[in-house]
Amino acid sequence: MSPLASFRALSVALALVATAAHADAVRRFALVAGNDEGGSDTRPLRFARDDARKMHSLLVRLGGVSPGDAKLLLDEDSRDFLAALADLEARARAAQARGERTALLVYYSGHAKDGSLRLGDSRLPFEDLKRRLASAPADIRIAILDSCRSGALTRTKGARKAPAFEIESGAARDARGLVILTSSAADEDSQESDALRGSYFSHHLASGLLGDADRSGDGRVTLFEAYSHAYARTVADTAASTAGAQHPTFSYDLAGNGDLVLTDLRASGEGLLVPGAAPPGTYYFVDPGGMVVAELDKTEDVERRVALAPGTYRVKRRLPDRLRIGEVQVARGRQVVLEEARLRDAPFSDDPVKGAARDGGAWWTLGFSGGVQSFFDGPTRDTLFLSVGLLGLEAQLHDYFRRDWVWGVDVAAGGKQAVLALPTLAGPAYRYSVTSLGTTLTSEWPRGSVAPFVGARMAYLVMRRDFDDEVFPDQKFAMFSPGLVAGVRWKPLPRLHVTGRARAHYLQYTVDEQRSLGYWELGALLTYQP
Amino acid sequence: MRYLALACLCLAAAACGGDFSNDDLEFLNALPRREDLAAELPAASEGRSGGGLTTRKDKLLVNLGELSQVAGDTDESGHEFNTAVDGLLSLLEHIRNAPPTSREPDRRVWGPFKDQEHPGFDVRFVMERQELRFDYRLEYRRTGEGDGDWWAFLVGSFEADAGIRKGVGALYLDVKRAEQEGFPTGGLFLLDRLDIEYQTKALPTRVELAFTPRGGLTAPTRYTYREAAGGLGEMKFLIPDIDLVLGGRLEDVELTTRWAPDGRGMGVLEVLDGDITGAKYTECWNALGRVTFIARSWDFFNPTEGDRKSCPDFSALDE
Repeated sequence: MSPLASFRALSVALALVATAAHADAVRRFALVAGNDEGGSDTRPLRFARDDARKMHSLLVRLGGVSPGDAKLLLDEDSRDFLAALADLEARARAAQARGERTALLVYYSGHAKDGSLRLGDSRLPFEDLKRRLASAPADIRIAILDSCRSGALTRTKGARKAPAFEIESGAARDARGLVILTSSAADEDSQESDALRGSYFSHHLASGLLGDADRSGDGRVTLFEAYSHAYARTVADTAASTAGAQHPTFSYDLAGNGDLVLTDLRASGEGLLVPGAAPPGTYYFVDPGGMVVAELDKTEDVERRVALAPGTYRVKRRLPDRLRIGEVQVARGRQVVLEEARLRDAPFSDDPVKGAARDGGAWWTLGFSGGVQSFFDGPTRDTLFLSVGLLGLEAQLHDYFRRDWVWGVDVAAGGKQAVLALPTLAGPAYRYSVTSLGTTLTSEWPRGSVAPFVGARMAYLVMRRDFDDEVFPDQKFAMFSPGLVAGVRWKPLPRLHVTGRARAHYLQYTVDEQRSLGYWELGALLTYQP
Repeated sequence: MRYLALACLCLAAAACGGDFSNDDLEFLNALPRREDLAAELPAASEGRSGGGLTTRKDKLLVNLGELSQVAGDTDESGHEFNTAVDGLLSLLEHIRNAPPTSREPDRRVWGPFKDQEHPGFDVRFVMERQELRFDYRLEYRRTGEGDGDWWAFLVGSFEADAGIRKGVGALYLDVKRAEQEGFPTGGLFLLDRLDIEYQTKALPTRVELAFTPRGGLTAPTRYTYREAAGGLGEMKFLIPDIDLVLGGRLEDVELTTRWAPDGRGMGVLEVLDGDITGAKYTECWNALGRVTFIARSWDFFNPTEGDRKSCPDFSALDE
């Protein structure tokens, strides 16, 4: 088939997928799954779960899927996946029984290999999934698979490495059937981007659904607008990569026509309006964490909308010799107009997109810590290991071993003057001091500028007691101490991090007797990202 | 790499532990120190002349303004008292400088070690606790003997009353047993036993030293030292067979001396037996040790000389 013929066939097929005028009448169900793990013979992905989170949030906020009809699965196996799918199918069947039109959207980001989706150690063969979707009790079934070689799912029927395609609008007949979009062809790997902090395909699909794909300018992004946008941008972005260009594919088996709206940019009421008078070019919208959440390719004299979620964003437009950057605040339920006058010139070094992530992932911080340490056992903290304040230094390496994993080393010291008060001995004055060397491995769950974390820590503690009176010998105790840590890291400025955290540690005391002790630490950490 | 990891583990294991122990401090606190038991003599006593305690034969013919013989006796006996205390407590000093070899909830043991100063003997120090009471023993045995062969050279106890070494205690040296075991006793060979009893929990504190002569041929010699607030000290001891006054008999006298930190003092000599049994002689001296007041109970015509007001106030030592 010649390229021209393919185009024509595709256009006809797309015309069959029509429901634009009836979008609001369709009850939508969504199963969104992300899994970084793909079994022992695969390397863990870094952003599959994040892609799933973004897509879930986007579908609920703009895609007409009510929260109760959307399921988000993170690192779940195939059994959970199928169970969730069965639950949604049951609901769709009930809705159909009530006479409602239904649509079921399945999104998956993760590993695929040897003809199966890899959900951790479990597998879900493409053919099983395809059969399941083909028979799902929904008028429209849409599967979006962002995984390596996922094009194998579309290869058997109707598969295309399709460029952007034409849309026929104004169709009258409701669409019914199955559409499958995949991020790569059957012989291609799907690529992730450290700079985008997600896969190329999912990023551009999401960015398109936020407004960049709304080529018609009607405030709605249809399935095929989104797909054609994601296709073009994915191919362009990956063309120069070492893995080679990545070509998304599609498959259709539909009857009817119309245009299926995936997102309504006005649905949430909030967002950003880029007026027609604004200069043309590519605009980037960057969250406080330095991540590009949306892009917009604006042409001359065309008004565009980006359905950003409420929050603060930095806006960047790239010129040949400099950047134009500024900040916008999107309030809940409000449409904000981007005013060119509020952007300023800036050198490329002030790029608000997080540099470390763009450069390859790992980044590090160095800072000061302060806190307090206290033992749980009352007599212990009164007479043996006292409660003290600690000051220290800490270095952290982010995203080195794995994305959102943080490895840190720290040293802290503290002490206080005290007077001994034992049953048969009271009065000697002494200085109690603690020195702590520790190493911590934590996992973070970034939410914009805030990142909660939990992890494990191993500390080496040295406690000393130096008596003012030489009559009593100075004493020392040293021991390794395993513990747990949890807290929140906040990034108020591009290179500054403030962390609040709590630690709980175990300490085996071995001098007078073998005794299990525990202590807690509360602290704050101020770090700078060079 | 495997050896490096093993070495790191060994290093880490070796770096753990320590001697951070409240119980150790309480056990150590039960051992008396020199400053607890030694007589606090007036600074001015250094270099002051005086007669020997046991050789004094003067007849109390001292005059006002002359050096006090009693003050000299006090200094001499004070120094002898402290020498005896030092000798006994020096046995415990090694214990203070080393952590216990083994720890149990109410027991600490240092050693056994080979006694470097007494070749052929092993030594260990055992302390036990029962509530506020601590008992301790410095034990020896011949090298190679078994656990049942330990014998105690020094035995002590302490009833703690909080504070730093505040309480009631006693310890003794069993010289007789040491001689029987063939253990070198040095200059102690004239004794069977040397006892110290003390209380440091309240003022005035008290330390009593008793020398039990070898074979029990004579009664034990006792020295009692007390100390009150303000650095006031008191030493009481018995002097047998001195020729105190003209007459056919020798006198047994009890001498009680008291002193202030500035060197002033007062001595009271009571005749327990002799030509003037029941007689009492009182003498006060200034910071230079020179007599400022004399009172003789047996002198009908001239019972006192000097000004009684020159005597320091020692009422804090009156129980």
